[in-house]
Amino acid sequence: MVAHLVRLKLTLLRNIFRRSRAQAIGAVVGIVYFAVLVAGLAVILASFRGSLDAARVVIPLAGAAGIVLWTVVPLFSFGSDPTLDPGRFATFAVPHRDLTIGLVAAALVGLPAIASMVLSAGVVVAWSHTLASTLVAVVATAIGLLTAITTSRWVSAVMTQAISSRRGRDAIAVLGLLLLVVIGPAVSVVANLGASLRDVATTAAAVVGWSPLGWAWAAPGDVAAGDLGTGLVRLALAAGLLGVVFLLWSRVLRDEVDNPRAVSRSDSGTSSGDDLGLLARLPGTPLGAVAARVLTYWRRDPRYQISMAMTPVVPLALLIPFVTGDVAWTPLLMGPLVAFLLGWSEHNAVAYESDALWLHVVSGTSGRDDRRGRLLPDLLLAAVLVPVYVAVGVAVADRWDLLPAALGLSVSLLGAGYAVSSVMSVVLPYPVAESGESPFNAPPGAAGITIAAQSMASLGTLLLASPAILLAWWSWQGSVGAGWAAGVVGVLLGIVVGILGVGVGARLYEQRAPELLSALRRS
Amino acid sequence: MSDVMDLPAPQGDPAAGPAIALRGLGKRFGELIAVKGIDLDVPRGSFFGLVGPNGAGKTTTLSMVTGLLRPDAGQAFVLGRDVWADPVATKRLIGVLPDGLKVFDRLTGLQLITYAGLLRGMPRELASERAAELVAALGLSEAQGKLVVDYSAGMTKKVTLASALVHGPRVLVLDEPFEAVDPISAATIRRILSGFVESGGTVVLSSHVMDLVERICTHVAVISDGLVLAAGQLDDVRGDRSLEERFVDLVGGSTEVVGLSWLRTSSD
Repeated sequence: MVAHLVRLKLTLLRNIFRRSRAQAIGAVVGIVYFAVLVAGLAVILASFRGSLDAARVVIPLAGAAGIVLWTVVPLFSFGSDPTLDPGRFATFAVPHRDLTIGLVAAALVGLPAIASMVLSAGVVVAWSHTLASTLVAVVATAIGLLTAITTSRWVSAVMTQAISSRRGRDAIAVLGLLLLVVIGPAVSVVANLGASLRDVATTAAAVVGWSPLGWAWAAPGDVAAGDLGTGLVRLALAAGLLGVVFLLWSRVLRDEVDNPRAVSRSDSGTSSGDDLGLLARLPGTPLGAVAARVLTYWRRDPRYQISMAMTPVVPLALLIPFVTGDVAWTPLLMGPLVAFLLGWSEHNAVAYESDALWLHVVSGTSGRDDRRGRLLPDLLLAAVLVPVYVAVGVAVADRWDLLPAALGLSVSLLGAGYAVSSVMSVVLPYPVAESGESPFNAPPGAAGITIAAQSMASLGTLLLASPAILLAWWSWQGSVGAGWAAGVVGVLLGIVVGILGVGVGARLYEQRAPELLSALRRS
Repeated sequence: MSDVMDLPAPQGDPAAGPAIALRGLGKRFGELIAVKGIDLDVPRGSFFGLVGPNGAGKTTTLSMVTGLLRPDAGQAFVLGRDVWADPVATKRLIGVLPDGLKVFDRLTGLQLITYAGLLRGMPRELASERAAELVAALGLSEAQGKLVVDYSAGMTKKVTLASALVHGPRVLVLDEPFEAVDPISAATIRRILSGFVESGGTVVLSSHVMDLVERICTHVAVISDGLVLAAGQLDDVRGDRSLEERFVDLVGGSTEVVGLSWLRTSSD
């Protein structure tokens, strides 16, 4: 059974390359990009072999960060892998133990796990001072990696259960906010101690090394430094932790297999009887209908709710360095950031509808109506959020002289984002969690193309808005003329680029609607 | 591949000629040739059944007629208009019920039908009026305010059918319209479709269920392995036998069961 699950995962991995050519290329680009990055990091880690003191500071911190990343990242971007979604195994009579071990083993086969293993190899090299330290390093690193992966599975499962109820969702939102509030000050405290960064890191490493996150990563350092007893204690603690996490995972898994849930189906305010909802309130045209439908989805589909909740909250984080440290300039970016997020977030909009798009295709919906209708709700939101965030940011930073530049930059980023999104959502849709699945799920093997497409959308947006960015920068450097130029150029650029981009996207949609539909069906 | 020149393409006057005409229509998916150059005429006012085994190319063919899948070869005409040369005009004439595709299931049933109407450019009053009528006719009144995601498979089928009807098409292309639909609803749908044909419309549907096709269709085509094996009036195709016998004959599959002896054990 374990071998079976691993084989399933390998097949999925291979299938990344069996999609359309554009998607395969995207995946390859993403993988190569990350392979280079990971290899570089591994070499850097291995180079700490030269300095045991440095290694004992850096590696526990890096290892702990690795465990945190493994736990948190899947929740927000790439999602936990739904092939390994325990709910799917509910109908098969798989022995519980096999499933528990098999799912973790299968998780070891994914690209993130392979990357982590390469990094772990670097860690082992760094610790290879004596035979004992090398041996402990191999065992401890393996324990650390398994802990990271098992914790990731456990947290994903718990979150998936939580998100399927309204109360759980609220709890997660509150938790996320708290995290944001705590992380901000922590970061700025560290930033303020900048002068003695070394001391801070040393202290942090000492604390982390004795926390559950760091046991496994600090143990080989002790042995290498000659403190065998401490090392073995930490190793034992790390092994114990792995056992506990595994038990927790095993229990959640049993729960899920016994009561597979239907995530977030019908807690949506069903309108009674003949109410047409927003379809009755927006203009009765194809464009109005598309916009009304998208707005309705924002309200009823958890996948949209997550990103809708994030977009206005993320720029608020820029206030934190200002409040806690004395960093005066970060709030100025609140407006541009929210504008960027609003424009950029539409770059894969069509994929969320999956092949329900057929209705647009068979009804011969024009590209203009389709593209513009999709952007209209986002534009309505932007019309409120962008001016408010620009004004608040400028007011907080008390730099009213930079108001034109901030506004111009925001509008140009918004327009450029819409242009890029209109084109990219037709040309390169990439797989996302399906309707009715947990919003934390992401299709297997899609990480590469997700990263490639998201980077492309970001770069494209910044590139299109670059004249306004340069002028805004100049204005920040003190040029009054550049400030006004940034305002005028930015607003005009945003509007013109936005309209042109949406036009190109509309033409592409009309040419490629059937191909787009095929791509959506495959993914 | 059969010669495209066999039959003249029915261009020009949309008031005469077949409702749907396929000329050398073909589609390839990588190594697999799903549809191997089909020529087929669906007469105006016919109730046309497309039958074939699983994987015969029925859905692929219908998708190419409805503008959902671009053919690699050949042409498809609906009421004399080339589907792929003039998609906007063609799509106005057809109502489509695809099989195995999702719908916008976070809308209520009533909203979905109205949405389909609005996308077609209908005025809102007309769209919502017709949506209400269709909901009543298809027995979905009680569920009209529920989200489609909470519908059963059969109800989803019905609401999708309603979305295909709302703009008053002249040709209906339905992929497996009776799948998962209960007998009472099936009878209702049959009556709606018969009425549509009587008033001059044309219906093309695909199905596995021979009995049903035999009961309601005036014309039938048998497709297997991407080719049309037989097409024409129902009586001409089936001859003096049942459609099912003729079908098995044409497709050439064996209905003998080999093996599976362990399934027949009655020891416990």
